[in-house]
Amino acid sequence: MEPIMQVENLTKQYPGFKLDHVSFSIPQGTIMGLIGENGAGKSTVINAALDLIHKDEGTVKFLGRELSSDPKRIKENIGVVFDEINFYGTLTPAKIGNISAAAYRQWDESVYKNHLKKLQLPPHKEIKTFSKGMKMKLSLAVALSHKPKLLILDEATSGLDPVMRDDFLDLFLDFVQDESHSILMSSHISTDLEKVADYITFIHKGKILFCKPKDELLYHYGIIRCGTAQFGAISKPEILAYRKRDYQWDVLVADKEKARRKYKASVVDNASIDDILLLYVKGDQVK
Amino acid sequence: MKSLVLKDLYNIGHNVKSMVFILLVFACIFIPSLGAEAYIIMSGVLCSMMVSTTFGFDSNSKWTKYAMVTPITKKELVGSKFAVLLIFSAGGAVSGLVIGSIGGILTHKVIVGNIRDVLTLLLTGLLSLVIAEIIGGTSIPLLFQFVAEKARMSTFVSFAIPFAVFFGIYAILTLLGVSFSDNLIFMLICLSPLTALVWNLVMYRISYAVFEKKELLY
Repeated sequence: MEPIMQVENLTKQYPGFKLDHVSFSIPQGTIMGLIGENGAGKSTVINAALDLIHKDEGTVKFLGRELSSDPKRIKENIGVVFDEINFYGTLTPAKIGNISAAAYRQWDESVYKNHLKKLQLPPHKEIKTFSKGMKMKLSLAVALSHKPKLLILDEATSGLDPVMRDDFLDLFLDFVQDESHSILMSSHISTDLEKVADYITFIHKGKILFCKPKDELLYHYGIIRCGTAQFGAISKPEILAYRKRDYQWDVLVADKEKARRKYKASVVDNASIDDILLLYVKGDQVK
Repeated sequence: MKSLVLKDLYNIGHNVKSMVFILLVFACIFIPSLGAEAYIIMSGVLCSMMVSTTFGFDSNSKWTKYAMVTPITKKELVGSKFAVLLIFSAGGAVSGLVIGSIGGILTHKVIVGNIRDVLTLLLTGLLSLVIAEIIGGTSIPLLFQFVAEKARMSTFVSFAIPFAVFFGIYAILTLLGVSFSDNLIFMLICLSPLTALVWNLVMYRISYAVFEKKELLY
């Protein structure tokens, strides 16, 4: 099946930062988590993919077509939620519905009203009186009401409390139940991605370090905790990243079961997405 | 385009009461001193400047970036600002005409039933719309370039540019020996909507060129 979004060699240079030949694709019916530290290039990827900034190089295709080939039709099928609501505070959800209905051909007023009801958003109250969580719920309701095939979320859950984030994650999982819907979710909250993502793309200093199924990371990746002598005995090609702490070495490996069998004197822990991120960002790679 | 205009009208809706209040205060101050005609022009220009307020709202809510992920083209976004300007300018000219006429009658500066007075007011209303369109239209590319943070500077420049251009043309024509008779002035006023149309077409192209190059990070 054709990927819903395919990014190839996406490059964008700013003074002091380069998004460097980024490539990944999102299969239909999946959630792709885009993870990386602040300033790693997550938002630049999204901005360039949506033609909000000019690309220096590379292509981004949505269901096989570049956005510039038919922007109006393609954008009908993309719902976007940024990290804050983009409507002025004196508007109400009802007025935002009218504005959005005029913008989208696929807009479904009944879907929108259902979302407002489900998310307990008063339709005639000015949004400046809403909490951050309510505003983000409203952004999501708007994004879902024109029946997009792809939802792009740029740090949409950051700044929300855990309960609210959990509600959001449930909505995302509902959205991808239909096998043709997909989500690109940029976040630095790795626990959210651990809960819902099917794939993790890890971006660091503008480069993709890996793009892998989440289960492969969680079930196969491990961290060897060992002393200096044991670290020296670890086969170097097996080391993805390592970090020296006071009296201990943390070594990221791609096959924890193999490591457990091979290095019996060392402790091999499971690796969370956070652990992997930290080791790649703060640790070193074997040259 | 409809969604963009609707958004601006909803946003500006909150400012309508204060704008009506300002127009009434100005009517009390300027109709007795400067006359109904000056007030009508002032009303059109004042209302046209509300277009800069809409840029302020957009900047505040980072609307423009969001608008570009919806099925709205850059051309439509730029065009919508000129459509909104036309609505504001027409509203200002018409309300100026109505309030100015009533004020003129109350201050005995306009005589009811005097065809010449009525015609003067109607022509002033048309001129108000034209001036508002030209000044407001000049502010749009500046607002796209500098956004809301330099709105005051944009407002000043949007007055200065048309004044300099039209005064320059007037000076050249005078040097060439053209004399501005009442008939010529009447003809120029009748042709002025065409001037405003051409002026704003140029401003639209400049605005689009400015906006096309912009990177929408915010």
